[in-house]
Amino acid sequence: MKYISTQKKAMSPFDREPGQIKASYTAHHVIEAIGQRLTKPLTFMEVCGTHTVSIFRSGIRSVLPPDLSLISGPGCPVCVTDQGEIDCAINLLDMPDITMATYGDMLRVPGTRGSLSERKSEGKDVRLITSAAQALSIAEDNPEREIVFLAVGFETTAPATAATILEAAEKNITNFSILVYHKQTPPVLEQLVKDPDLKINGFILPGHVSVILGHKAYRFLADHYGVPCAIAGFEPMDILLAIADLVFQHSNGESALHSLYPRAVRPEGNQKALDLISKVFTPCSARWRGLGLIPSSGYALKEEFAAFDALLRFGITIPTPKPPAGCCCGDVLAGHITPLKCPLFAAACTPMTPVGPCMVSSEGSCSAYYKYNRGGASPWKRSPSATEAADD
Amino acid sequence: MLSVFPEQNLTSNLEDCALIWGKIGVTIDSFTVSPRDFPGGDIGELAICGSANDLAVRGVLPRFIAMSVVAEEGLHMAELSRYMKSAARICEDLNIQLVAGDTKVVPKGHVEGLFITTCAVGEQITEESLGMDRLQPGDKIIASTSIGRHGAAIGASRFNLNPENLKSDCAPLWPALKPLLALKGLRCMRDCTRGGLGTVMCEWAEGRNIGITLVEKQIPIRIAVQSICDILGFDPLYLACEGCAAIAVAPDDADRALGLLRESSLCEEAAVIGTVTEDHAGMVALQTEIGGMRVVDMPVGEMLPRIC
Repeated sequence: MKYISTQKKAMSPFDREPGQIKASYTAHHVIEAIGQRLTKPLTFMEVCGTHTVSIFRSGIRSVLPPDLSLISGPGCPVCVTDQGEIDCAINLLDMPDITMATYGDMLRVPGTRGSLSERKSEGKDVRLITSAAQALSIAEDNPEREIVFLAVGFETTAPATAATILEAAEKNITNFSILVYHKQTPPVLEQLVKDPDLKINGFILPGHVSVILGHKAYRFLADHYGVPCAIAGFEPMDILLAIADLVFQHSNGESALHSLYPRAVRPEGNQKALDLISKVFTPCSARWRGLGLIPSSGYALKEEFAAFDALLRFGITIPTPKPPAGCCCGDVLAGHITPLKCPLFAAACTPMTPVGPCMVSSEGSCSAYYKYNRGGASPWKRSPSATEAADD
Repeated sequence: MLSVFPEQNLTSNLEDCALIWGKIGVTIDSFTVSPRDFPGGDIGELAICGSANDLAVRGVLPRFIAMSVVAEEGLHMAELSRYMKSAARICEDLNIQLVAGDTKVVPKGHVEGLFITTCAVGEQITEESLGMDRLQPGDKIIASTSIGRHGAAIGASRFNLNPENLKSDCAPLWPALKPLLALKGLRCMRDCTRGGLGTVMCEWAEGRNIGITLVEKQIPIRIAVQSICDILGFDPLYLACEGCAAIAVAPDDADRALGLLRESSLCEEAAVIGTVTEDHAGMVALQTEIGGMRVVDMPVGEMLPRIC
């Protein structure tokens, strides 16, 4: 059992090296320690899109040793939403009296027939919201319309959706339904770690998902598959410490799950949020953009809440269109290639003319590569060997 | 849009205001904001400050203003009157004379509440015209105050987040910037409105094909602004400011410029935030707090709040 509890004592990579670095470590010290302890090329995956953006925004890639590669995983809710799911939402908007409410970047993701944003500019009623509760308020304020909440996100947003469903049921609101596109993080990580073509030497696990799930849901990665894991917050130092922890684990021959984010993550997670999820949803297979159908990786409404299922309510299904020609979002999400290897990157696919969701989303890895690295033309990019190592 | 005016001699390096007939500065801008009343100001105040500041950053004393109002049917007269009083107050503070105006009421649904367009005219008081064509390697970049307060205040209001101590920086810049006009080393200034500081830096770097390096630690950002950015997933570099100017000065004049700015209550947070360089031509670099380097690129599209 290599799992180390953080309940009593916050784990830090430096706790095990008291003579090397003192408690007053700085970014410089951590970077130096990473360089000293890195003895072989390693590739770590940051699972979360917020981590991806923080890594690029803070220039972490530019200060890491060339033999240390970071690849971006399937942790951006926009990026993993399947094109068929977008098409389904757009088809729904063609029906009369539909108002669709959804979060941020979802508006711009292109489906086969354009994006929700384009439908909005044509006069369809598409609302930008920042919470599930706002969608329900819209329903209460507009009883003559059918309000459909396009619900995306991982374990972080699913509890709020569940709470909204319960509230809608309690208030007996009849003009409100949901396209449930929520996804679960652990199943997709298991699929990645089992992929023989992918050599991931460590996972930087998402802090906010871990706030909900706690530690237990990830144990299998270290215990069963022998992959070191570090739960990290979102400040640059949080991420650097997680990277240092993973490097230290390798140099010590360990594979454990460490939490570098004990100020927010309790080992047992958030039981109230987990109860909400289990009360309203049941696990189901879900289609991930570019990754295909993954068993038990999604959430479906339980039968007692079927009245709020937009698919049933409007008698529609989610189509399975072919992805846009040349788009490699699936390979990027799976960590098989970096965005620079996609033939469309910075050519046919740019933030102005995005082809795939990894370029649309502010937390997508293609968008981050483009925005913070000038499409690969930045003079501060890491050495070619590191980039190639991630692609091979 | 400019391509259809080939004989007008307009270039892509458009500054905030045009200098015509030698010493006359003129600018025009339209203002639409939601909510129209926001922490720290309203659309009336914004409409005057916005155009007056466009003149001020080119060393032009704001003198006259023309205003056009397009109101949606149903807008309450009392509300419109309140905005006009705010506008009048700023005009009085700056001694600007309202010389022309127009009001249109359009059917409900044709505009969202209220649009105000202002055209400001003034008198250039510097000997040489300030502009990005004066930028030189070695120049220091100054932010006249902390960045992103207007964008953060609007974003917070729009998404029902109301942190204490967060107000728009909406304010007239002329009184704070006027003393700088005496500095020989003053190169150019720009108020960081839509697109924020990051966009202004990109426009300077690309417009002059020079490099600019910003130092993240030195850029003044209030905690309330950073908090809103953390919650919504925004980058403060791209949040709109309505009372903050980016200023480029020769290195020898940087300390003097800072001292003059800090005499104004609006600019107590003024700081040197970067340098013009011969390296990475056409590109803005940010030296990050952890010692890394990354590109600051032009923003694309509307900033949308993060999902989780």
